[in-house]
Amino acid sequence: MDLCYFAVDDGYAEAIIRGLRAGFLNEAQYTQMKSCTSIPELKSFLEETDYQNCLQADQPQIATSLLRQRLKKKLADEFDYIEAQATGTLSKFLFHLRCRFMIDNVVNMIEGLKNKIDIEVLLSNIDPLGWFPEIKNIKVLEGDDYANLYRDVLIDTPIGVYFMKFLDESIENMHENRTMNDIQNLFKEMKPEYIRTSLKKMWLEDFFRYSEENLPQTSKEGLVSLLKFEADFRTIQVIYNSIGNRDLNTVARIQTTRKQLCPTIGTLYPDCERQYLAAAQLEALREAVKGTENYRDLLKDAPDPLKREEFNVSTRTLDDIMYDEECRRYALAFDGQGSYAVFYAYLKLKEQEIRNIVWLAEMISRRLAKNHPGWKKIIIPFSHLRK
Amino acid sequence: MSLFRSRPMKHYNLVVPRESAWSVMDRLGYLDQLHFVDYDATIPMINRPFANYVKRCDDSLYKITQVETFITKFNKKVIRCTNVPLLLEQFTRNLQSRDKAPHTFFDEIEQDIEQKRISLMDLINNFENLEEKLQNYNEQLQVLKSCQRFIFQGFRESADQIEDRSQPGRMKLNNIIGVIDKDDEIRFRRLIFRVTKGNIWLDIFDLDPNDALQKKLDNNVLRAIFVIVYPGIEEQSLIKLKLGRIVDTFSKTKFDLPKATGEYQKKILDIENVIMETRNLIALSRQQIESQIEQLIIKSVTECSLIEELRLYVVREKYLYQNLNFLRMQGSIFSGHFWLPEGEFDNVEQALRNLNSKQDFIPTGQITEVVLPKHMKPPTYFKLNIFTGVFQEIVNTYGIPRYQEVNPALFAIITFPFIFGVMFADIAHGFLMFLCGMYVIIFHKTEAPDSLFKMLAPGRYLIALMGFFAFYNGFIYNDFLSIPLNLFGSCYDLVEKVVDGKTEEKWEGPREGCVYPFGLDPVWLASSTALTFINSYKMKLSVIIGVAHMLVGILMKGVNSLFFKNYIDFFCEFIPQFLFMICAFGWMDFMIIFKWLTSFTPQDAPGLIPTMIDQTLSPLAEPKAPLFEDPIQQRNWSFMLLCIAFVCVPWMLWPKVFLLSKKSKPYDKVDDIDEERLQQDQHKLFGKSEIDLDENQEINRLLIKHHSGHSVQSSANHEEHDFSELFVHQIIETIEFVLGGISNTASYLRLWALSLAHGQLAEVFYNMFLAGNIGTGGVVAGFMTAIFYYTFAMMTFGVLMVMDSMECFLHALRLHWVEFQNKFFKADGYLFVNFSYQKALTESAQQEQ
Repeated sequence: MDLCYFAVDDGYAEAIIRGLRAGFLNEAQYTQMKSCTSIPELKSFLEETDYQNCLQADQPQIATSLLRQRLKKKLADEFDYIEAQATGTLSKFLFHLRCRFMIDNVVNMIEGLKNKIDIEVLLSNIDPLGWFPEIKNIKVLEGDDYANLYRDVLIDTPIGVYFMKFLDESIENMHENRTMNDIQNLFKEMKPEYIRTSLKKMWLEDFFRYSEENLPQTSKEGLVSLLKFEADFRTIQVIYNSIGNRDLNTVARIQTTRKQLCPTIGTLYPDCERQYLAAAQLEALREAVKGTENYRDLLKDAPDPLKREEFNVSTRTLDDIMYDEECRRYALAFDGQGSYAVFYAYLKLKEQEIRNIVWLAEMISRRLAKNHPGWKKIIIPFSHLRK
Repeated sequence: MSLFRSRPMKHYNLVVPRESAWSVMDRLGYLDQLHFVDYDATIPMINRPFANYVKRCDDSLYKITQVETFITKFNKKVIRCTNVPLLLEQFTRNLQSRDKAPHTFFDEIEQDIEQKRISLMDLINNFENLEEKLQNYNEQLQVLKSCQRFIFQGFRESADQIEDRSQPGRMKLNNIIGVIDKDDEIRFRRLIFRVTKGNIWLDIFDLDPNDALQKKLDNNVLRAIFVIVYPGIEEQSLIKLKLGRIVDTFSKTKFDLPKATGEYQKKILDIENVIMETRNLIALSRQQIESQIEQLIIKSVTECSLIEELRLYVVREKYLYQNLNFLRMQGSIFSGHFWLPEGEFDNVEQALRNLNSKQDFIPTGQITEVVLPKHMKPPTYFKLNIFTGVFQEIVNTYGIPRYQEVNPALFAIITFPFIFGVMFADIAHGFLMFLCGMYVIIFHKTEAPDSLFKMLAPGRYLIALMGFFAFYNGFIYNDFLSIPLNLFGSCYDLVEKVVDGKTEEKWEGPREGCVYPFGLDPVWLASSTALTFINSYKMKLSVIIGVAHMLVGILMKGVNSLFFKNYIDFFCEFIPQFLFMICAFGWMDFMIIFKWLTSFTPQDAPGLIPTMIDQTLSPLAEPKAPLFEDPIQQRNWSFMLLCIAFVCVPWMLWPKVFLLSKKSKPYDKVDDIDEERLQQDQHKLFGKSEIDLDENQEINRLLIKHHSGHSVQSSANHEEHDFSELFVHQIIETIEFVLGGISNTASYLRLWALSLAHGQLAEVFYNMFLAGNIGTGGVVAGFMTAIFYYTFAMMTFGVLMVMDSMECFLHALRLHWVEFQNKFFKADGYLFVNFSYQKALTESAQQEQ
């Protein structure tokens, strides 16, 4: 039923997205990019595509980080434009999407400040999609006092909620008679990557719940299936990466950490939770997820994380496999009609495209041989639809 | 007859040595007659020999755009080029006056642009820095002034206390003062409050936005002063550090207040002085910038600004290189192909020879005619003018005519406005439209550029013609804003009769031998059966026009098939189609006209529709209400025509399929010969380059494969497949034509329907707004009539002149695109794109305007 009046409010925004579909680079263009021999050549190639205007003002020998920044700026501009056309539910929905980038930005800032990188450099490197005015105030952070950072700065921001939950959970999980010192230590030891994973997990859960409760039927269906997969992907990733991790050597510890990092949504939760939390080997993980969709097939080709030392560039890692699967799903979702999943898929696919371009730029600037397996490591959006 | 068929094209090969490639192309650019063929469209631009130059041109254009934004920032305007030929002449003169090779001129221009941009940018940066500085000083001044007002007293105290620390119990205070953006105010307050837990005193107030200096050049951001007073004067206190950090993240401008009163005044004076100086500097640098800009935009001999001249030169250069990129580089020579309309060869040759005589030290290009490769179709080129252009555009919007096929645009010149006129038929409306068209024709040059009439300018002749034909058809239908005009004196007379004691007025006539000279007798329209009569009349007219229009279309199919020597199509498609049309719908038209010309008594009058139905369903029965005097004769005629029409259907269907499938057998042989001939030709052309030959052979092989399909492998199988394909195709064609004959004829009834709608609308407006009010009389009625006339005029304009004309236009378009053109028009050609500086520069200049 909601399909009937979808176009009343959101038709224009969707139409813009459909128009932007033409801006995706196609396989032939990727082949041409791969044949570029230098960064200036790549740049002048990109100037013939949709990325023309965002690169024109730069030097031919553009740095990879700047290139990434420019591409992201373009994506952010497009997103801003769509957001400006959106009303009501859609604009809330789009804002939710931004939160993911805000989390990334905040964690990057924290990481950078910890490593004593200049604030100006950090600010110039933030993802324009996740910009919010308070971001520059993160500088107030002293040492590892995340609680204060939250209280002083982040409390007002959209991601404050997640940060608060994260702090609560971290403190809750400690032993009973904790002191201020213990808390300090806890934060000191905490890796920014850990913060990122936890925050993103919370965001994902929140976004999932939001989609389930507030979106029209068609959008809900599309998004819930995408987000479920993403949650499962995250779970599998966490378990996979924690297998054989030396920092988490005790069984109790590994279980609590995993529990904290794995999303409580998706098809794997809660049915397989006990099994995957306890999985100590890849085989056990495979066993744990075998009941759901095609996860068993996906994991079949994944290399054993215990033999991490043997990995090289040509290894098709779990992440590659999962990204590939994700891209396929997003491309399918993009072709769906009258659903907000289109916006989500667009953002994800465009991100993938930027990742591809930056990866190729990296390969080119390192002057790797053309038969290097790394050239094949890009996942072209929409290439799955033809198979 | 350049509009009937596109101009015949010749395919030429151009070989130029690398050194003279630029000069040759440059010369050709002035000729406007060549269409360069991209030798391989799949190669991306970036891999072409001159990609680098194109890129440089793009860079220069980008720089020019930058300079132009600077110019607009200072409220100056660039004079755009309006006289392209003059500019092109100037370019040639400039190039000739140099002694270096002409293609190096671009290098100079490139440097020139870069230098101009940098110098201007430096000046502007400097200017902006100064403005920023001024703003900064200004803020400082305002801070000082406003702080003096209210915290000076407290400050002196705290300053005193620094010396006298012994006094206990008094709070020691310190302060931070600075300027932040107004938008940040709330966040700033909150953050400060959260960090200090309210243990400070904070005040924020706006800088005076009305201060002239407050306004920055580009962004007009409101700024606000903040004053924080916090306890503790130690340098390293926690609160100070925290506050410092927060303030740093919000603004870079912090000010220290002088401690003593005397210093205070002195500082204000100092800053005021500095501000004065900076203002002078700004004025000076502004002047400098303006004088530089003035140089850039001053009108030169070419009637446009210098910067525009530079821009168009770069556009020209880019265009040249883009076309050069269509050539293939083979060592030190470039070779490529181009199309040239027949008869222009001498001009090109002459131009190249002239070039040769001028610069005898470089060899110029060589042009040889090439036999057309089989897979290449020449482009479609019509020499158009402003009048024919718009009709060609109507056709091109549907599809570009195939090379040398009959161009429907030629017929559209009259049929399009005429068919429009049939639907829009009204003397007054048509005349208004005609006037509008004439106005644009006469005054389109003097109209303001943003005028609505200017918008109509490209279609001005079309509008005038449409208006004229609507006017003409209005006379035929005798319709003037729904009022019939009695122009020539009706053939009927109003007679008063007394019936049963009442006088009745009655029309009587027509008078013996009286014929209304032109159009409908007005009395017809005043009679009670006016609508029935008019409808039947208009319907019949539409069908007659429609069948004639379609017959012309079918005839053109015949003309096309004869021209292309496609006799199978001529005998197996054109002739049966033509006969079918004539026998089925031509006969109907004949009957309509025949009935018009014969007088029947009302009882005997044959109905055309029953007659048509009867003669199809029971062809041998005698017609009930005969049209001819001799019913048997009529039956014979109609039976014969019906038979012919029936025979035509299988005639359309079968022979072509058989002939084609028979013909497809000796394909391989034909292509062998062709290949040999082609190879010989290529030997002549590319005698030297072996690689090229190989490639061409490759292409030929592919072509032959394509033609003969996989006949080598399984010829029997293939043939069957081919036959069934042909058969299915022909079935579709036949069905489409036969059914189309009926439905297209019916489709022409829209001529009647639209005209009816138009007439009825006009009548409603007339009756509702005008007719009802004229009769009342008196002063009130006078006023009312004025008001109603206004409404009437607006409705007539809005609904009839704008909306209805649009609708009639669309229907006329449809009748041409579908009903007329599907009879013969293949529309799979492509346009001739001439290599012309004139065109490229005009387009570019218009885009900027």
